[in-house]
Amino acid sequence: MSGGGRSRCPDCGCAELVEDSHYAQSQLVCADCGCVVSEGLLTTTFADEGHLQEVTYSRSTGESEQVSRSQQRGLRRVRDLCRVLQLPSTFEDTAVSYYQRAFQHPGLHAARLQKKEVLVGCCVLVTCRQHNWPLTMGTICALLYANLELFSGTYLQIVKVLGLDVPALSLADLVKTYCSSFKLFQASPSVSVKFVEDKEKMVSRTLQLVELASETWLVTGRHPVPVITAAAYLAWRSLQPGGRLTCSLSRFCKLAGVDLPHPAYLRVQELLDILLRMAGQLAWLRILNLDKQTVVKHIGDLLQHRCILLRQAFRDEAEEEEGDEQQQEEGEEAGSSTLEMPEKKRPASSPPPLLPPCMLRPPKRPCPTPADSRVTGEEDISDSEIEQYLRTPREIKDFQRAQAASQAGTSAPITS
Amino acid sequence: MPYDSYLHIFLPDELNQENTEQTLTEGKQGVERNHEIQGDPSRLQSVSEKNSNGICTDNFNLSNSGSNPLPTENSTLPSPENSSSSFFPLTSMTPLMPVTPVSESSGIVPQLQNIVSTVNLACKLDLKKIALHAKNAEYNPKRFAAVIMRIREPRTTALIFSSGKMVCTGAKSEELSRLAARKFARVVQKLGFPARFLDFKIQNMVGSCDVRFPIRLESLVLTHQQFSSYEPELFPGLIYRMVKPRIVLLIFVSGKVVLTGAKERSEIYEAFENIYPILKSFKKA
Repeated sequence: MSGGGRSRCPDCGCAELVEDSHYAQSQLVCADCGCVVSEGLLTTTFADEGHLQEVTYSRSTGESEQVSRSQQRGLRRVRDLCRVLQLPSTFEDTAVSYYQRAFQHPGLHAARLQKKEVLVGCCVLVTCRQHNWPLTMGTICALLYANLELFSGTYLQIVKVLGLDVPALSLADLVKTYCSSFKLFQASPSVSVKFVEDKEKMVSRTLQLVELASETWLVTGRHPVPVITAAAYLAWRSLQPGGRLTCSLSRFCKLAGVDLPHPAYLRVQELLDILLRMAGQLAWLRILNLDKQTVVKHIGDLLQHRCILLRQAFRDEAEEEEGDEQQQEEGEEAGSSTLEMPEKKRPASSPPPLLPPCMLRPPKRPCPTPADSRVTGEEDISDSEIEQYLRTPREIKDFQRAQAASQAGTSAPITS
Repeated sequence: MPYDSYLHIFLPDELNQENTEQTLTEGKQGVERNHEIQGDPSRLQSVSEKNSNGICTDNFNLSNSGSNPLPTENSTLPSPENSSSSFFPLTSMTPLMPVTPVSESSGIVPQLQNIVSTVNLACKLDLKKIALHAKNAEYNPKRFAAVIMRIREPRTTALIFSSGKMVCTGAKSEELSRLAARKFARVVQKLGFPARFLDFKIQNMVGSCDVRFPIRLESLVLTHQQFSSYEPELFPGLIYRMVKPRIVLLIFVSGKVVLTGAKERSEIYEAFENIYPILKSFKKA
């Protein structure tokens, strides 16, 4: 774009004039010799320069040209967080770019500092997720001293606003990272020799238990970390049942040096239930009459044959529906058990359905029947019905007196 | 005259409210039956569109059809001796059936759990006076700048603002929400304010149902990534944002589905019919 007025450079006579800006000053420069033909006014307004009006910083171009201090601080925080988490350097750049993009959105641009701080964590989390780096929200919130509620709101907002495609947390990687953080792989003053375990064996058995949990509906809809804690606990105990059967979950977590998430207790019970059912399908285990403590000794065997045992131990409801009219007796070891019988006629010894625990519990209260649909919305409203909600004059006086008394009571300490 | 009276279904609520106020001042005996006898214009129009016979026959057909007999104590059918106007109460016809209540594919009908509606009472209100004179009202200006009023039948709650605007929540159907809003307006009227009943509008409808089989949420989020958000660390359910109709569904592992964001009942049914085949494909885990 060449400026108005002169169309040739006075020095070399070239017609190619380029509008350029030297910092904030616009200049007309010759493309050939570089001679400055004319200079613009020192102004950063959007408005017509002839008016020479003052504008606020937010309306000027200065904002888009410079990075604001708040944004600079945020970007620094992003880099710091990446370094603390020891993430690869490529993650840093991605996270920084997400932060910059997010910052441009008006909703996040004008947010409180607390939210901008949390935004730092969200950008790092998204980056990690996209590279399948297992980082939980709990970890980030702990590092940033952030409230999980605020974090979740900001995270969902930023995913929607930036239109990001965030893959799910990869459970297998999380297991490996989480288990590697245990302090059980070397003897120490707090960890006696009988508690020390080989890392590879522990990780692999925990992984198998987590897979088992995931197949049996114990993972869907639940926070992933307690499941992994529970699986690690059972795996560790089963690898050397001798000295470890009596060790409780809380003691295990103390030994390992990790926090004990409260739901882990329930997950342990649920996993043990599943394992007991599977054990019921193996003849040599059935005669042992296992309970929740003793089944731990056989976890290794159960995991080895888990596919078959699961299929035998639990009736797959979906297969049943497609099942044909053959009515088979529920199998012992060898046979499979697809019962084609209506609900009521099922024998008591039929295998239970493989369902999430929330579906197996009895409903808390019966679902209320839907309301009668005869209402039109235009029915008469009787006066008596409305008057039941109004106070009589006597009641009003009593209420006012009571209010005054209570206010006098609360204001007395102040006045006296 | 009977055919002329249908003109009022195309007129805003206001004019019929004025008629009501007039009849109220006339006296109580026998007048209570003629209150607010207009129907919801948009719904009535859609009924008439469906029925090729037109509006007039619609009314008579529906009121004479035997499926839902009218409750006699609240009958708004005109009888010559007690109606002082010759308006035909169009609302005496049975409530509209949903567009596709039971589809052949799913056989499950979502139940409405909550309706949020707003109405304009069109007069400035003294909230302190309302809180003082009404038993069922609470007002704590330091916490929230509105009176919270509750009635027992239908079991609903209203937020009444000093500008005269009111929000009514907790009803289980559109008609009940309208009835409840009218009752709240009547309470405010009885407290001495010239409350009207303008621009009644349903703002949100929430429904829920149960497909009765477990759903693999992790797989669902993989196949429907652009619509779903599943973060077990934050919330146990999957948040599915359907584009058409614009409804948000909360899908849980137990097979229970919550649908919200609808302005019309049909949107909820349509959304469920859209999601059911998707959920069924995850049935065989």
